[in-house]
Amino acid sequence: MSEVTYASVQIGDTLGPQEFYLSKDQVRAYAKATGMWVPRFTDDEAARKEGLPGMITPGNMSLAIMSKLVSDWIGASGARMIRLGTTYRQPVLPDHTLTLQGFITHKSENDRTAEMDVWVESEEGDRLVIGTATVHFPR
Amino acid sequence: MAVDYDPAIIGRVFETTDPVPVSAEAIATFCTAIGETNPIHVDAAAAQKGPWGGITAPPSFAVTFRNGQHFFQHVPRFGKQGFDAGKDVEFGAPIRPGDAITLTSHVKEVYEKTGRTGSMVFVVVRSTLTNQHGEMVAHVDHKFMSRT
Amino acid sequence: MTTTLDLHSHSEASEDSRAPLEAYLNWLKLKRTERPVDGVVLTEHRQFNQEGDYRALEDKFGILVLKASEVETDYGHVLVFGVTDEMTRRFDFANVHLPAQEVIDEVARMGGVAVPCHPGRPNVGLCEHYTHKPPLENVIAVEVLNGGSRRGEDERSEELVRQFGYSAVGGSDSHLVSLIGLCATRFEGEIRTAEDLVRELKSGSYAPVDFRPRRKPVPHAVPVEVK
Repeated sequence: MSEVTYASVQIGDTLGPQEFYLSKDQVRAYAKATGMWVPRFTDDEAARKEGLPGMITPGNMSLAIMSKLVSDWIGASGARMIRLGTTYRQPVLPDHTLTLQGFITHKSENDRTAEMDVWVESEEGDRLVIGTATVHFPR
Repeated sequence: MAVDYDPAIIGRVFETTDPVPVSAEAIATFCTAIGETNPIHVDAAAAQKGPWGGITAPPSFAVTFRNGQHFFQHVPRFGKQGFDAGKDVEFGAPIRPGDAITLTSHVKEVYEKTGRTGSMVFVVVRSTLTNQHGEMVAHVDHKFMSRT
Repeated sequence: MTTTLDLHSHSEASEDSRAPLEAYLNWLKLKRTERPVDGVVLTEHRQFNQEGDYRALEDKFGILVLKASEVETDYGHVLVFGVTDEMTRRFDFANVHLPAQEVIDEVARMGGVAVPCHPGRPNVGLCEHYTHKPPLENVIAVEVLNGGSRRGEDERSEELVRQFGYSAVGGSDSHLVSLIGLCATRFEGEIRTAEDLVRELKSGSYAPVDFRPRRKPVPHAVPVEVK
């Protein structure tokens, strides 16, 4: 596959969709690696006591997953993500299949940047985490 | 019904943390946890030939740094429970093993809105991450949501 | 001649959206066949931008841009169409507890229309408030098709419309560029200005239209934890 370049990027191009199964152990591994080992991210019973439907994925992990969608799209092209904004709309429950998706929405000739929408979708089609990213293509 | 807080807090730096060292192990563990396999983040030999001449942390590593103890003394709290409602991150210099990262934080914005779960107050805290060379590594705008 | 408008959208002027208007219009131009809308109405949260002039962009893309506002009341969120200076002086749009009945009556008196949006949504929609408070008077229309709705919410809104005989509108409630125009309202009349829109909303000759692609089936092969 050829690498993405500023010229090759078109508004309407897609990132993903990528489907993947997020396991509870992956969430626990993230919580452990980042010092977020708190009950709502590690234990169903404890999370339910906080009024949650079960253990949830840290927002930071959702951000990391979305960030990876963008970096996978960038590949080895030499472009760089310079901004990523996320809104955590609904809890992301592990042990479910998630779909990651994005669309190129805008290009700026002056800055040589591309803007994109990215989101994490549930099996039911709800966009649980939404965001936008800016990728810069150096000359 | 305006939100009750001292407007003087907006824009005033309330905390600069001690530098937090970044180890190669911490970056490797992080990559494993998020399933990152890109050689520029996980393979020292390959990364050396890459754009940064060595291993760099994935961009999302920037949000793993914490505010210090002053956070809860200086950031206004509304209601009982706080939630992480999202982050807006601007990326600067990459984070490398051996870096020491300092967080400088201020309250950027406070606003109220209503949603499915009731009335909420949002406090946006901006933390600027700086490395040991004084380079800006990231601006992290962290949206804290409290139900009131 | 009919006019199809996305009556509910948020651009970067809203605190929770980063979508530039130009990107919205460009996206609609690109998706013209799938989302055939003639225009968008910017309903920024808790504010109204009196100065905003989008004529250059309208001409560039051939898409109508109208301005309105989404305010927050004691009966949930309400779209205010035909906003005037008099309205922004009368009400503090940033107040998240505006009195809904006053908003509806005063907006109508000042020449606009207030349309409660996503009524089926918990807390910020009419339905929940109607369970323990008297129904609002002088409501002309409500939004029954909202692009941000979760399962069951639009169905609740439809039930409300059946019960109270309100007219129904649709809007994407888009906060992302790629979601603009997925839900809209088709008017029987021609609309070129905010005044036209108010007139058409009062006339009652319109219906929501859904341009969303059909949802993929929910996979069943995934282990779901049994409580």
